[in-house]
Amino acid sequence: MAGKSGRTISATPNRSFLKTVLSWEGALVVIFIAVLVAGRIMSPSFTLDGVMFMMPQHLCQLFIVFPMAFVLIMGEIDISVGSIACLSATTACLAANAGLPLPLVIIICLATGVACGALNGFVLTKWPELPPMIVTLGTQIIFRGIAEVVIGAGSSLKYDSDNLSPFATYLGPVPIVFIVVIVVAALFMVLLSRTTFGRRLYAIGSNRIAAKYAGIGVNRMRFIVYALAGLMAALCALFLLTQIPAVKSDEFGKGFEMNVIAMCVFGGIATTGGKGNLFGAFIAGMTIVCLRIALGLVNVNDNVITIIIGVLLIVSVLISGISQILARRKLKNKT
Amino acid sequence: MKGFLKKITGNHEVSLAIILIVLFIVVDILSGFTFHGINNIGEIFKNNSLTLIMSLGMLCVLLTGGIDISITGVLAFSGMSVGMLMKYNVIKNVPLLFAIAIGIGALCGLLNGFIIAKGKVSPIICTLGAMYIWRGLATVVFNGEWASGENVAAMSEFGNTAGPYIILAAAFVIYFVVMKWTPFGRKVYAIGSNREAARISGINVDRVEIAVYTLMGVLAGLAGALSVSLYGSAQPTMQDGKEMDVIAACVIGGVSMSGGRGTVVGTLLGGIFYAVVYKALPLVGLESIWQNLIKGVIILAVVIINVVSQRLSRRQALARREI
Amino acid sequence: MKKILALVLVAVMAVAIFASCTQSGTGGGVEYALVTKAAGNAYNEKEAEGFKAAMDAQGITSYVIKHPEKATVDAQIQVINSLIAQGVKSIAIAANDANALSATLKSAKAKGIKILTLDSDVAVADRLTFCNQAGVQEVGQALIDAVYDIAGGEGDYAILSATSQATNQNAWIDAMKKIAAADSKYSKLNLVEVAYGDDEPQKSTDQTQALLTKYQNLKVICAPTTVGVAAAAKVLQDKKSSVKLTGLGLPSEMAAYIGDDADHSCPYMFLWNPIDLGKLAAYASIALVKGEIDGTAGGTFKAGETTYKLTTVEGTNASEIILGPPFKFDPSNIAEWKKVY
Repeated sequence: MAGKSGRTISATPNRSFLKTVLSWEGALVVIFIAVLVAGRIMSPSFTLDGVMFMMPQHLCQLFIVFPMAFVLIMGEIDISVGSIACLSATTACLAANAGLPLPLVIIICLATGVACGALNGFVLTKWPELPPMIVTLGTQIIFRGIAEVVIGAGSSLKYDSDNLSPFATYLGPVPIVFIVVIVVAALFMVLLSRTTFGRRLYAIGSNRIAAKYAGIGVNRMRFIVYALAGLMAALCALFLLTQIPAVKSDEFGKGFEMNVIAMCVFGGIATTGGKGNLFGAFIAGMTIVCLRIALGLVNVNDNVITIIIGVLLIVSVLISGISQILARRKLKNKT
Repeated sequence: MKGFLKKITGNHEVSLAIILIVLFIVVDILSGFTFHGINNIGEIFKNNSLTLIMSLGMLCVLLTGGIDISITGVLAFSGMSVGMLMKYNVIKNVPLLFAIAIGIGALCGLLNGFIIAKGKVSPIICTLGAMYIWRGLATVVFNGEWASGENVAAMSEFGNTAGPYIILAAAFVIYFVVMKWTPFGRKVYAIGSNREAARISGINVDRVEIAVYTLMGVLAGLAGALSVSLYGSAQPTMQDGKEMDVIAACVIGGVSMSGGRGTVVGTLLGGIFYAVVYKALPLVGLESIWQNLIKGVIILAVVIINVVSQRLSRRQALARREI
Repeated sequence: MKKILALVLVAVMAVAIFASCTQSGTGGGVEYALVTKAAGNAYNEKEAEGFKAAMDAQGITSYVIKHPEKATVDAQIQVINSLIAQGVKSIAIAANDANALSATLKSAKAKGIKILTLDSDVAVADRLTFCNQAGVQEVGQALIDAVYDIAGGEGDYAILSATSQATNQNAWIDAMKKIAAADSKYSKLNLVEVAYGDDEPQKSTDQTQALLTKYQNLKVICAPTTVGVAAAAKVLQDKKSSVKLTGLGLPSEMAAYIGDDADHSCPYMFLWNPIDLGKLAAYASIALVKGEIDGTAGGTFKAGETTYKLTTVEGTNASEIILGPPFKFDPSNIAEWKKVY
């Protein structure tokens, strides 16, 4: 997937690139508002309170959207994030059940996530020719396998303490997790668009070899990004534990990776790397969350919701694909 | 001795075959010499025939630099269609049912191919969407029903004949011939190695790409019908998540995920490797609960060993050039 | 221009999705809800069928049946939250996990929603009552007796379960082990392994074949899960193995394998009627909402013709409603039941 030829560095994006991105985000905002309006019309329960009540569980996945966007912008993929969430939640449960104080529980949980992410990063940078999808598939099975062995046969592992309840409270009508997501989103946005770190990510995704010759420590960057993905997966797990206070090794965080990738791509991030930004990913994530909430409130069959999201995904990418083709054709005609 | 070593590390298929043989012997010893029986080997192929068959389609998809993660969704939809047709006594003719499943798969694959080739959509996203759609439809259209036991008796009987083996062997022989000796095979490799060069040299890239995804769909549809006959049941959730097994089998077999590199023999070996691991894990006296973990470790270890051996051989080649 | 067109197109599509979908929903004013374990499972569909039948029989239309997309707690909590936001009066849940739903159910309880469980229970503090398809003890007893009977009183047997953390399966297996340990009658039975097929046909097949290879003296396999039992039945029957099978399975799935002769792999097996369980849950929901019962043991309510009583769960002061003993499916009645579910 990585290392496609024929791309140029777009560290300083040119005007037309910016334009297309802007227009896609514009479309997303319109869709987002359309979803909200339609939800309000169709369901009497689609109120601020109703939505905010259902929001926390859905929002947890958004934490992973941002680092996943980084991974995708580099032209790579990480499908182990769901399993990392599972293993981090497992260690958090073990720590809490052992009677450790909350700060220590949080540190252990996040440290597990970072360690898992670092393992991905280590393998991928030690043997850079390995495809990220296969490595993270392997670790996906491994992390979940470790959780299974640790939890053991029997019932799920319960988080036997209510010290996480501060994370589940509301500030007025707004859940804490929403605020944290916004803060994290802002941090990641600054990191991506205002720092050399972010510009290097685009450079790596656009042309890895050129980036290397330009003196960018490609492997160091990759290691950091994968570790970051692990960290955010653990943060997701921590907040998810307030909603789901028990861990089952074959369930916790299952399928998150694909949901998150779908959000990123819907937000205009190309899986081939070098393209997209976090505002698009964030608004796309929020749109999917609100769509799920709204369709859930009008009691649409869950599988129909999945089908709708599938169609939405393909159509949205198809539109940008076709518009690109049209633009290219226009350019050809001019010359 | 040196030449022999070079041969082992230099050729991916040979080194994988050796790893496979070693693994086989180890498992045979650990399982108290019950692993090498003809029945057991038959079961290895039969239980994993779905992965093996789909890995052929995946080989071509990966060779063009693409990926298809919708295959198990397609499998479930075609398998459920077949199951329901039997359950409600619409069609009971086994060859016809296989043809229907293949037809459905081909249509799904064609759709993928068309969107990817003509709409310039990245393969992973198109097929991710398609996975959601087909898996969802398999549940929604058939109302969450199952078809099993007596309902699909005719298919089950077929599963007990030599039929699945013949299909499996035929698929591999056909693909071996096509990929090695036909213009189509060469075009697939050409596109994967260098798409622009392929285009300039007159290959209709779009058409080949559409064909590749359609063939993937054909095999996924075939696997759907085969799944019904092997397990005697059709469920909307069947083979959920197994697309990754198929991709992993290919990669273990030396197929490159960036396109252009990989062979049918390698894919077969990768598939067998995966199958042996699946079959061996419950047999070697491991606690049941450790099996998933060990499976993950083995997959990761093998792909790493692959890379290490490749590096070694490259270094040797360089060293030889210097002399 | 094209961009504006695309924008409008997408917006129209988003609205159209809603317009087309609300038709399939039941609309506002939902009072009763059933949440099954997952979509795409015939057993759950039968529960839903029973729930629907009972509601229809009572002339109630303000109900909704929700199948979560996957058999996970995560998917289930999404569904329950959406029901809470809609302000339903009661929710009947077949829980995917005993512990994981507690936060969600507490917030439902805080909003005055009557929570009851069926098929698979949660912590007793989180629900009012539990529609128990058959007591854990009864299921365990029936299964161990079946193993004892089929094995001829002695020999090796193995268990093929679902996942290693499956709530119901583990409870039944535990009950089997305890009963076998407590009574010297079962002392000659030897449990060689509990294997996990993860409720996947392929893994269950692999595990069954491995059991046959590993344990040459194996006499019986007991599979207390519908997917596992069907997969094992097919393996044994195709191999014409002398090893016999029992467990819990759907009659329609298992009819081809049930028989006393050497050609069939399963002499008999057990299950309860999921349709009746769905009905029971529906009637219990109605009784709870109407205040006929409040979830304390001793209360009674009518479900169609029969009257059910809330009994105490052993060791707690919580209540449950037991549907009846597990039903035995053997060659004499399978032909009739396979048409029902």
